[in-house]
Amino acid sequence: MKGDKLYIFLFLAPAFAVTGVFLYYPFVENILQSFYKTDGFFNSTFVGLENYVRLLNDEIARGALFNSLELMLYVTIFQVGIALILAIMVNSITKGAGFFRTTFFFPIVISGAAIGLLFTLIYNYRNGLLNEMLVNLGFERVLWLTEQSSLYMVAIPTIWNYVGFYFVILLTAIQKIPNDFYEAAQLEGITGMQKMFKLTIPLIVSDLKTCIVLAITGTLKIFELVYIITKGGPANSSEVLGTYMYQKAFQDSAMGYGATLAVLIVVLGLTLAFVTNKLLQKDEVTY
Amino acid sequence: MRKFKWSLLLALLFVVIGLAACGNDETGSNADDTENTSDNGEDTSADETEQEEVNLRVVTTMAGTDPAGEVFQQVLDDFQEENPNIKIENDSQSADAGTIRTKVNTDFSSDNEPDLMFYFNTVDADGLIEEGKVVNLEEAEGVDLSGYNSMLEQQRREDGNIYAAPQSGFYEGLFVNKKLFEEHGVEIPTTWEQYEAAIEKFAETDIVPIAASTEDSYYVVEHYILAAGGMENYTADLADKKEAWSEGLNNIKKHADMGAFTPDAATIDLALAQELFKQEQAAMIFEGSWFWGQLEEAGMGEDVTVLPMPVYAEGGETGELVGGASQGWFISTKSYEDEAKKDAVVSLFNYLTSEETIVKIAEATGQPPAKGELSDLPDYLKAGHDLVKNAPSVALPINDRIYPESFTHLRTSVPEIVSGDKTGEEVLEKAVEMAK
Repeated sequence: MKGDKLYIFLFLAPAFAVTGVFLYYPFVENILQSFYKTDGFFNSTFVGLENYVRLLNDEIARGALFNSLELMLYVTIFQVGIALILAIMVNSITKGAGFFRTTFFFPIVISGAAIGLLFTLIYNYRNGLLNEMLVNLGFERVLWLTEQSSLYMVAIPTIWNYVGFYFVILLTAIQKIPNDFYEAAQLEGITGMQKMFKLTIPLIVSDLKTCIVLAITGTLKIFELVYIITKGGPANSSEVLGTYMYQKAFQDSAMGYGATLAVLIVVLGLTLAFVTNKLLQKDEVTY
Repeated sequence: MRKFKWSLLLALLFVVIGLAACGNDETGSNADDTENTSDNGEDTSADETEQEEVNLRVVTTMAGTDPAGEVFQQVLDDFQEENPNIKIENDSQSADAGTIRTKVNTDFSSDNEPDLMFYFNTVDADGLIEEGKVVNLEEAEGVDLSGYNSMLEQQRREDGNIYAAPQSGFYEGLFVNKKLFEEHGVEIPTTWEQYEAAIEKFAETDIVPIAASTEDSYYVVEHYILAAGGMENYTADLADKKEAWSEGLNNIKKHADMGAFTPDAATIDLALAQELFKQEQAAMIFEGSWFWGQLEEAGMGEDVTVLPMPVYAEGGETGELVGGASQGWFISTKSYEDEAKKDAVVSLFNYLTSEETIVKIAEATGQPPAKGELSDLPDYLKAGHDLVKNAPSVALPINDRIYPESFTHLRTSVPEIVSGDKTGEEVLEKAVEMAK
C-alpha cells in the first residue's frame, strides 16, 4: 500500500509541476498584479485596492458582466436545448444517423477565429451574404450589427459553434439507455412526447447537468468570436468580460486593471460552477 | 512483479532527471555562452578581435506583410558576408496587432533583450528609456549619426537625448480616388468647404464618401482634431482639454449625419474600410503612406492622390501633416556594455543606418527616407513626398504621445458620439481623467 502511494505521488508529480508552473503560479502573479497600476513590465506602482474600486465604478465592466451573463443564459438554453432536441431526433432515426451526427458535430472542428470571420462576412452591410440575398430578392439592405442587436448577433455563432459538442455527449448518453426500458414503456402505451419527458430526459439528467455546467463556465471564456465580429462594439454593446480584459491588458497597456478583470472572471466562473452544481444536485438515476 | 515495479520506478526517475537536465542544460549553456563570450572578449582585446565569432539578435517590425522584410533580410545577409565572424539572428515580427510591444517588453524585462532593435520611439519606449535599457546614441562611442535629415531631431526625447536613429518617415492624409471624383463631377477637396461639399455630393450616390471605421477611428480622430484646431492645438497636451479636440470629435458626428460613412462604420474594422476604398465603393479614406503598397497591389495607385487634411481653424494652415518618424534603431545597453559585442553592434548599427541601406529599404516601402532621397518615384508617391517636404509643420499621431487608455477611449467612443449618446466634450473629459 505504501509502495502504491509512492507511485501515485511519482506519477502525479509531473502533472502537478506543470499545472503549478503554468496555471497556479501565473494566477498568483495575476492576483498580485491586480494591486498595481502597471503595464506589466517597467512601469509599476502599488495602488492597493484601487483597481478593485475602479472595477466597481466602471460602467463598461458592468455592461460587460451583464452581457456575459446574458450570453450565458442564451448559450445554456439554446446550446444544450438544441443539442438535446437534435440528439433525441438523431437517436430515433435509423437511416442517415451517421450523416446527421457528422453534420451537427462539424462546427466544433472549425476554429472560433474562422467562424468569426465567416460571420463577419455574412453580416457585412454592403457586400455581406445576408444583404446580398435580400438585395437579390428585391429588399432593402439591413444593418445587422447595431447597438441593440450586436449581442444577439454574436450569440448566434457562439451557440452554433458548440451545439455539436453537447449533441455528441447527449446522444451517447441516450444511446446508453437500455432498450428494455422503452419496450416496457411501449407495452404500457407510452406516446412519443411522454417517452421523451418521462423516460429519456430523467435517465440522462446527470449528463444534462454536466452539459449545463460546461456551457455556463464555457461562456466566460468567450473571446475570439466577439472580438472578430464586433470587437465588443458598437459602443461596447457586445463587450464581454474576455474582450474587455484583453483590451485593457494588451491594447491599453493597463495590465494591472486587466489582471483585476481576470480575477473577476475566475471568481465568477468558480462561483457559477459551484452554484450550478448545488442547484442541479439530484440523485443519480441508475439503470 | 516487484522487479517490474522497480524498473518502472527507475524509468520514471530517468524521465524526471532527463527533463530537469534539459532545463538546466539550456540555462547552463546560455550562462556558459555568456561567460565564454565575455572571456573571449577579454582574450580578443589582447589577441585577434575580428576572428572571434559574435552572435547578434536583431528585432524589427520588418516582417509579415511589411514590404521591407525581404530587403532587410538581404541587407543582413550582405553584412554577414562582409563580416563572416558576425552571425545575425533576425527575430523580426510584424507590427500588426501590437504583439511586437509585448514581445519587446517581455524580452527586456526577462534579461533577454535584442542587441539591436527597430522599435517605436514613442510612449511605448518610455519604460525602456527610464530603466536605462537602451543607449543614448549621441554619447555612444563609434556611433555615426551624420547625414540625417530633420527626422533625427524629431527623435529627441524630453530628457534631451536621442535613443533612436530613424530609418524612414511616414505621413498620413486624405487619400482620394481621382477617378471617382471626375466621374461624379466633384471637386477635389483642398478646403474645408470643398471637403463638406464632396461628402454631400457622394452621399447622394451609391459611392460612400469616406471609407472609415468609427470604432477603429485612429486616423479620422487625428485629422478631425487637426482640422478643427490647426497644429498648435493638435500638439497640445491632452490635459489642456483644448476645445478644438472636442469640436473635432463633434465634427465627426456632423459629417456622419450628412452620410459621410457607411451605416455599418461602427462595426467594420480598418481592413474592411480599406477594402471599400480599394473596390472603388468609397471616394476617400484617411490613411498613412504605408497604404500605397496596398493600392499598388490593387492596381489603382495612379487613380489615387493624397491630400493634406483641409484645416479650417484660425491660425492653422492646410498642408500641416500628421507624420514623422515614429520608429528608430535602438542599441541595448547590455549589448553595448558587453566588450565582446560592442564593436560588432556598433558596426551593424552604422551599416543599417548608412544612407545606402536606408535608401535601399525605403525603396521597398516608398516611404520618405531619413537620409538621402528616393529617385524615379511614380508621380503619386512623389506627390506624397512633396507633401512632407512642403508641409509647414509635421507632428506625430496623438496615440504616439498620450496614455494608451485615453486614446482608446477617444477612439472607441466615436460610435457613441455619432449616435448622439455622448458629446465630444464628455469624451475628452473622461480621456483626461483616465490619464491621471
